[in-house]
Amino acid sequence: MLPSFKTFAAALTLLSAAAQAAVVTYNWNITYVNANPDGLYERRVIGVNGVFPPPPIEVTVNDTLVINAINQLDVPTSLHAHGLFQVGNNQMDGPSMVTQCPFPPGANFTYTIPTVNQTGTYWIHGHNLGQYVDGLRAPLIIHAINETYTYDEEYTVAFADWYHQEHAPLLAFYLSIYNPSGAEPIPQSGLINQMTNATFAFVPGKTYRLRVINMSALSIFHFHIDGHEFDIIEVDGIDVQKANVTTFPIAAAQRYSVLVTAKNSTSNNYLIHGDMDPMMYDVVPPNLVLNITGTIVYAPDAPLAPIEYSDWAAFEDATLVPVLAQPTSPYTTQNVLTAAFYLMTDYTNKAVFNDITYVMPKVPSLYTALSMGNLSSNPQVYGPNAHALIASHNEWFEIVINNDDTGNHPFHLHGHVFQIVGRSEGLYDGSTPYPYYDASTNPNYANPMRRDTMLVPAGTNAAIRFQANNPGVWFFHCHIEWHLEAGLAITLIEAPEVMPSVLTVDPQHYEQCAVQGIPYQGNAAGNAGLNLTGANFGPSILPGKFTAKGIVALVFTIIAALLGLVTVVWYAHDDDLALAQASLAEAAEKNKAAAESEELSSL
Amino acid sequence: MAAADYFSLPIFFIVFRETTEASIIVSVLLSFLSQVLTTDHAIKRRLQRQVWAGALIGLLISLAIGAAFIVVWNKYGSNLWASNESIWEGSFSLLAVVMITIMGVAMLRTTQIQEKWKGKLAKAFDDEAERGLGNNSRRYALFILPFITVLREGLEAIVFIGGVTFSAEIKSIPAAVVAGVFCGFLVGYIMYRGGNMLQLHRFFVVSTCFLLIIAAGLVAKGIAAFEANYWDKLIDAQSDDLGYYDPNVNVWALNCCNPNDNTSGGWQLMNAILGWSNVADIGTIVGYILYWLFIIAWLVFMKLRRRHRANADAAAKSLETPEELSYDEKEKEVTEHHHQDQSEDIEPAQLQ
Repeated sequence: MLPSFKTFAAALTLLSAAAQAAVVTYNWNITYVNANPDGLYERRVIGVNGVFPPPPIEVTVNDTLVINAINQLDVPTSLHAHGLFQVGNNQMDGPSMVTQCPFPPGANFTYTIPTVNQTGTYWIHGHNLGQYVDGLRAPLIIHAINETYTYDEEYTVAFADWYHQEHAPLLAFYLSIYNPSGAEPIPQSGLINQMTNATFAFVPGKTYRLRVINMSALSIFHFHIDGHEFDIIEVDGIDVQKANVTTFPIAAAQRYSVLVTAKNSTSNNYLIHGDMDPMMYDVVPPNLVLNITGTIVYAPDAPLAPIEYSDWAAFEDATLVPVLAQPTSPYTTQNVLTAAFYLMTDYTNKAVFNDITYVMPKVPSLYTALSMGNLSSNPQVYGPNAHALIASHNEWFEIVINNDDTGNHPFHLHGHVFQIVGRSEGLYDGSTPYPYYDASTNPNYANPMRRDTMLVPAGTNAAIRFQANNPGVWFFHCHIEWHLEAGLAITLIEAPEVMPSVLTVDPQHYEQCAVQGIPYQGNAAGNAGLNLTGANFGPSILPGKFTAKGIVALVFTIIAALLGLVTVVWYAHDDDLALAQASLAEAAEKNKAAAESEELSSL
Repeated sequence: MAAADYFSLPIFFIVFRETTEASIIVSVLLSFLSQVLTTDHAIKRRLQRQVWAGALIGLLISLAIGAAFIVVWNKYGSNLWASNESIWEGSFSLLAVVMITIMGVAMLRTTQIQEKWKGKLAKAFDDEAERGLGNNSRRYALFILPFITVLREGLEAIVFIGGVTFSAEIKSIPAAVVAGVFCGFLVGYIMYRGGNMLQLHRFFVVSTCFLLIIAAGLVAKGIAAFEANYWDKLIDAQSDDLGYYDPNVNVWALNCCNPNDNTSGGWQLMNAILGWSNVADIGTIVGYILYWLFIIAWLVFMKLRRRHRANADAAAKSLETPEELSYDEKEKEVTEHHHQDQSEDIEPAQLQ
């Protein structure tokens, strides 16, 4: 029997798709370079292949992205493809001491990354300490074979804040006892595509896709374009129904794609704006230019159109509607995580989730999960400060994030996009049912917005939900780099019982651990079983109570005061006595005089 | 706490103390005049009016200066010295400690003060009687003395107030000042009417105790202000970053019991009177204890010296030579002479 035409056509499509799926290889020599991206200060930065900024990575969906990374720095490093699901590929996700040891200077590490089932705008950045702040970051674009929306051309508009000092000394001060208020280092400037004066050529009548990325350590940018409206069409790799806006805020690590239609004339050029939000900074230095711009060029000599002042209107990303609908399901596990900052027992200001500050274990958590057998489902083995949450395979997992801090935090989950199923004011304590979105609070509650990095404003909470269908150890943390280093993170241990059958670690990665003296088997202390002696642990919140030396000091001050008062009374005692005697004598004299005058009058 | 917001206890104590000393001196002057000028009522009334005029004008001027000072301080001072506010607070506190301590200890010796003032007045009056009323300064001696005294006491009170309540709310000042002035006036009045010296003395002892407690607290607060200035500069603290401390020298740091916390008036009161703070370090603790040790040493030294002198005097007296009479004895002789001179005008028959 001949196969039906339909089957034949399907087979043909599959074949062609398979034929189109390529292996795209990038060779990344990660090196130090000298650069002056903001034109104000030349400094040492981290570049790729001797070039700064690192060039963007572009692939088509279903390609296999291969990055041959060679560490030519003087410190260990690792790379994380932000937003990529890494299904069955957790060992290539990148965060150091979570899914791998950072690979040492001179070593090479090949990231082989699948790109099935996701398209859109992503980025790739260093994930050991704050190396991405020093420049190790670049856009990562996954093109679709058939894009949902049609447009003529596209540009990448990658915002980032920029520091004149390297991140290591900034981090050292940020986490020292001389920063008890936890004030984040303030950048010296803002950049577009890691340079100033970025330009984007527009041809009249064409439609452009602008891929807006925020690669910052800290800053929020408010995006708007003089003279042009735009439609949001993609958020963190999720295509959404067109949403017409004039401005939106983009927080660290978030991405948006917008469609802009070019004007019909070339009489003016227009500015693209990224206004850095001053609320993110402890203090705004007078010489910090907050409003940075790039130029949309219609004609090289055309005058600039006047600047429009944006009022930074409120923007609720949960109201965006994903094109590919994914209904939610009730959760099986709910974790309420309260984010806050405290002065700790080591007198540094650290971040906590539920009073636990994240500290890296001695063994990468993934390697612990793969080597502990049945114990991998026991959160204890990951260490007292890894804050491990266990998810069963395919369960619906919900996290309610309380932001109990005065700052706004963008929270990012590796390995997933999550549904935003509710937001509310104040903190949620779990004692009442959570006020999820419904028809009245959010019309698309049946097809919740999903993304991988979500901003939770100060003093509010948000509920996110996802299905634990991607076995692996996934980092969940605030994407303000300073806060991550301060410990605002947890590790999600997803389907540990399934991991050994799904994940394979290249033995070379274990060797790289061994070379650096990092254990790669066992629990967080490198031991077997539940013996956690020697595990890394973090400071706890200062109790703010009397200690022994405080009580001793207080007692001595009270004794000193009492002795002093006793001495005062003793000193005045003589006068006391003298006066008592005098008043007695006076009284006696008065009596005597009275008696005498009585005598006289009775005479 | 509402009550504490409208009545500053430290200001009350200090104004009370200053008014008391001023009114003691005024009452001494007035009672001296009553005792001496029993017959010449015209002169007595004129001189009494001088005393009152001097006291009241001195009081008015010092109040005016005080009000101006407080207004200027609050309007311009806090902005002018905002960046170095802690240094000003610390300096004023320590200056106030010195002055409060001296005055507090002096208060213990009010009997001696009274005698001293009686002696001064007798001498001044003596000179006036001898040289007549031609000399202006002598003529108005009984105006100048209370005027200068009250003015001095008033200005001292302002400095104390500046030190003790650096950031006092204006609304807490008037009630405390009025109450302090009233109570101080009351004390002087009681003395003038011949109050019980023993009770007054005991009252002075108690009030000295309070003053020294306040001063000790001020030592701690002054040192804390200097240390806060140092640490805030080191950590580049912003105006909303307060209450951070140097962990290297910290002795206690409590989450509760914060006197800067407006909701718990009790701790504010403890801070005002005792110098209590929820943060203490080696500097403030040692400073506080050393202050008391200094007071103890000073008082012990003074008392032993008095006893030694008294013993020496007694020994000298037993030799009975007139030249070695003590000043007090000489004073008594002078006043006795006056009585004798005046009594010569009275008919001998009326004398006993």
